[in-house]
Amino acid sequence: MENFFAAFAQLDFIDLINAAMRYIFPVLAILIVGRCAISLLTYEKEPEIWAWIVAPDGTRHPVNHWETLIGRSRSCDVTVNYPTISRTHAVLTRYDDGSWSISDVGSKGGITLNGAPTSMEVVAAGDKIGLGGVDLTFEPITRREEVLQASSRTKAGLGMHLGVTLFWLTVFQVMAAFMLSLESGAEQIFPAFFILIVLQWALFVFNKLLRRSGFEIEIIVLFLTTLGLCVIASDTPEELRKQLICLAAGIFVFFVVCWALRDLERAKKLRYVAAFGSLALLAFNLVFGVEQYGAKNWIFIGGVSFQPSELVKLCFLFVGASTLQRVMTKRNMFLFIAYSAAICGCLVLMNDFGTALIFFAAFLVIAFMRSGNFATIALIVAATAMGGVMAVRFVPHILDRFSAWGNVWENALTTGYQQTRAMMCIASGGAFGLGAGRGWLKYVGASDTDLIFAFVAEEWGLIMAVIMVLAVVLLAVFVLRSADLGRSSFYSIGAVAAVVILLLQMTLNVFGTVDLLPLTGVTFPFVSNGGSSMIAYWGLMAFIKAADTRQNASFAVKLPSGRALREEDPE
Amino acid sequence: MKRMSRRAMLLLPLLAVILLGMTIFLIRYAVSADEWVVFPGSPHVYSGGNMSTGVITDRHGEVPLDATSGRAYTADPELRRATMHILGDRYGYISAPVLSAYTDEMIGFSKLTGLHRVLDVPKQARLTISAKAQKVAQAALLGRRGTIGVYNYETGEILCAVTAPTYDPDDMPDVQSDSTGAYEGVFVNRFFQTTYVPGSIFKIVTTAAALEELPDAMTRNFYCEGSCQIGADTIKCNGTHYTQTLQQALANSCNVAFAQLSVELGKDVMARYAKKLGITDSLRFDGIVTPAGHFDLTSAADSELAWSGIGQYTDMVNPCQFLSVMGAIAGGGEGAEPYLMKSVTGTYQAKTKSRSVGLSEETCRILTEYMRNNVVTMYGQWQFPDLYVCAKSGTAEVGPDETPHATFSGFIRDANYPLAFIVIVENGGSGSATCAPIAGQVLRACCEAMDAERS
Repeated sequence: MENFFAAFAQLDFIDLINAAMRYIFPVLAILIVGRCAISLLTYEKEPEIWAWIVAPDGTRHPVNHWETLIGRSRSCDVTVNYPTISRTHAVLTRYDDGSWSISDVGSKGGITLNGAPTSMEVVAAGDKIGLGGVDLTFEPITRREEVLQASSRTKAGLGMHLGVTLFWLTVFQVMAAFMLSLESGAEQIFPAFFILIVLQWALFVFNKLLRRSGFEIEIIVLFLTTLGLCVIASDTPEELRKQLICLAAGIFVFFVVCWALRDLERAKKLRYVAAFGSLALLAFNLVFGVEQYGAKNWIFIGGVSFQPSELVKLCFLFVGASTLQRVMTKRNMFLFIAYSAAICGCLVLMNDFGTALIFFAAFLVIAFMRSGNFATIALIVAATAMGGVMAVRFVPHILDRFSAWGNVWENALTTGYQQTRAMMCIASGGAFGLGAGRGWLKYVGASDTDLIFAFVAEEWGLIMAVIMVLAVVLLAVFVLRSADLGRSSFYSIGAVAAVVILLLQMTLNVFGTVDLLPLTGVTFPFVSNGGSSMIAYWGLMAFIKAADTRQNASFAVKLPSGRALREEDPE
Repeated sequence: MKRMSRRAMLLLPLLAVILLGMTIFLIRYAVSADEWVVFPGSPHVYSGGNMSTGVITDRHGEVPLDATSGRAYTADPELRRATMHILGDRYGYISAPVLSAYTDEMIGFSKLTGLHRVLDVPKQARLTISAKAQKVAQAALLGRRGTIGVYNYETGEILCAVTAPTYDPDDMPDVQSDSTGAYEGVFVNRFFQTTYVPGSIFKIVTTAAALEELPDAMTRNFYCEGSCQIGADTIKCNGTHYTQTLQQALANSCNVAFAQLSVELGKDVMARYAKKLGITDSLRFDGIVTPAGHFDLTSAADSELAWSGIGQYTDMVNPCQFLSVMGAIAGGGEGAEPYLMKSVTGTYQAKTKSRSVGLSEETCRILTEYMRNNVVTMYGQWQFPDLYVCAKSGTAEVGPDETPHATFSGFIRDANYPLAFIVIVENGGSGSATCAPIAGQVLRACCEAMDAERS
């Protein structure tokens, strides 16, 4: 008993606060991510209607997308069941300026426009589109109806009061900064969190000014970013400045990519820039790159270091995404396969196994989205060839990693060093963690990047670490849920590929830490300490935002222009 | 676009893999987190190669080891020597299963709250042993190899468990290059980790079988003329006892009588009783797993069956296990299972578990009477003033050119001191002559320890 009182007398004020806070943080995290989840997963789907296709029998088919596949097959967006119409007959495309076109996608009967045969032609209101001799009347909605439609659809995110959710995130950040400062006394912590809070509220207000109300994805990303800053504040506070600069740069890139995606024609043109840019970046990396931790994926310029391969992920999506008309007509993907092979080849030469794997998987996903089947011989050949090249190239590397995999406890002093320490620290933290800044894992190499899951678990608790994983899963589920509302397949492919990259990065990172997979050293999206990856991930978010067609959800999706309306209908 | 949204379903298997992986990980966490957390090298748990657990005390609060940060043994060198095999050494030659078993409780780990503690009060683990009894027992062995154990057969608390040889963990001798044999088997805890040839203390088992299986066992007479012929072998006795009852035969430790009894009872009955009493089982408690004893008659000739009933042949017993058999007999067929850890502050409190050996209360009463008779008529009550000791001695042959091991085991039949004991002195010669005085000293120390608790 006297022991107890002696200890009580020495009891630190900070210890008492910490003891209480470790239960409050997970509650806040659940509140923040939970509110976003409710908003993202329970919104009512309200398909947009852009035009009507009227069949000869008078049936009116709504056109819900900017890219619409018409044919006899039930898997078409508009199914018109006449024997002379091919299973997949034509693609109706709406352009950014409100104009439309119809194009033949390899039908047997061909198409006519107002009686004249064509393979691709601009269509206007009232035009007769003939598919295999069946005349369909095209009736797009007017500008006025577009505005009406926009105003009648439910605005994104308004139901959950995202300002309130952001407020809870701010509370989390203030308390985290407070605890971290108390623990380490590092003077960089308060300013860093202050800047983070200013940045996020500026982003929120700017979003409102742009008349956009969807902010859940941003909040989730900001939540993950916050955890990342918490880790850096505990591990290396002097790197907070760098990470914040990259956060600001990331948000800037996010807007640039959103802007690029607003206009599909612009986005399509950027593909070539992206393709050449990314290859040039990697080539530059190959020549001037510096090797760190076995992979030659760093470039140092004027005291600033960055990883080009992170930014290449962004370019890869631009190159890989494709419009429906293109997907349906140009079935071969030789250029894309060649491009992917070149990218993976460069990464192989750079010895960056983890990133090469991510690109390879992203390639497979995009290829599947575009072709619809893996059976395509070219694809299989390409896949095996690339896989084979990688396997051969990385044999010593792979064998090395696989030797420890699953046996880390037997190799605790050598190849299993990081994983065993990570699991020891996860256990030490329990469900609620030891408290901000109170972990030990920071003394293990790469703990703020490769072992981030364990780092968060030790200081913030296993619950927080699991929420961190679920937050990324939430983004994927949202993309999956809203996939049938996308305007263009360009956006759908981009969004799916973006979340696949996020999920794979996370899976390799987390499962590598806990010995379910070999440790590959890839980053956890937004949380791992790393400037280039922070910028790249924010860029990827633009692709997810561009596929979010809830009304006023995102800057990457244009609203009907009031000015155009006045010009058309001066009333 | 319908096709695109369908193709997007390829996210589902990926999400399923992630959820499955997380589930596997969380299950692994639930199963093994307590092993991960004590991983050697954890700065949360270890300091300088030794686990930082807390304070280890004896039953009265005396501190033989403070492991709050590293290992600080008591300043008393005698106590250090007498408790090292329970508490472990500094270098990992001698492990301390009882401390490892309660590491989670001592470091305050739980899978829910991890290692987090608000108040950094060092945990206190209270062992059941009495520091004083340990020292007395260690001293009583006079440097001979052997082991002594005493436990409370009503609660299960082990009051004394010493093993010799031992050394001072703060002044470790050069064991490797020792050629005198003084440190032979020093890294082994003989009480918990070895088995011994029991010798005549095993006759208690044979007597129990006879009492239950032969209706006239108590009334019949045995005749001993110094030796007898069984099969091709001659069983030699320690004397010539002529006509004797079973009670007298046990007191005389008459080999002839017990050889004849064993053969009459037969292999099956002997094996059944050895099994029933638990001789061939392991005891498991507090991280300790005792080696199973040995009693195997499958290929035994009649003469070997005869020797087995006398505690020779291939018979082996673990001292701790045999002690618990004594406890069960003293308790009328049911005794407490022994244990070593009494409590860990705030997290653990030992509970008594009883163990039945399947002997009737009547059998146990008669055995008690017989063993009491042994003390009164043979070993001398003067060895145990004021204590109602019941016992059996043994002289276990261990090799043609070796002095036999002296063995001695029994219990006190007294509600105030419900203690069972076993004393084994390797190459100690005659059981009662060597061991009875040791038992007397150690039992007295244990009784004093119990008196101290009552006052």
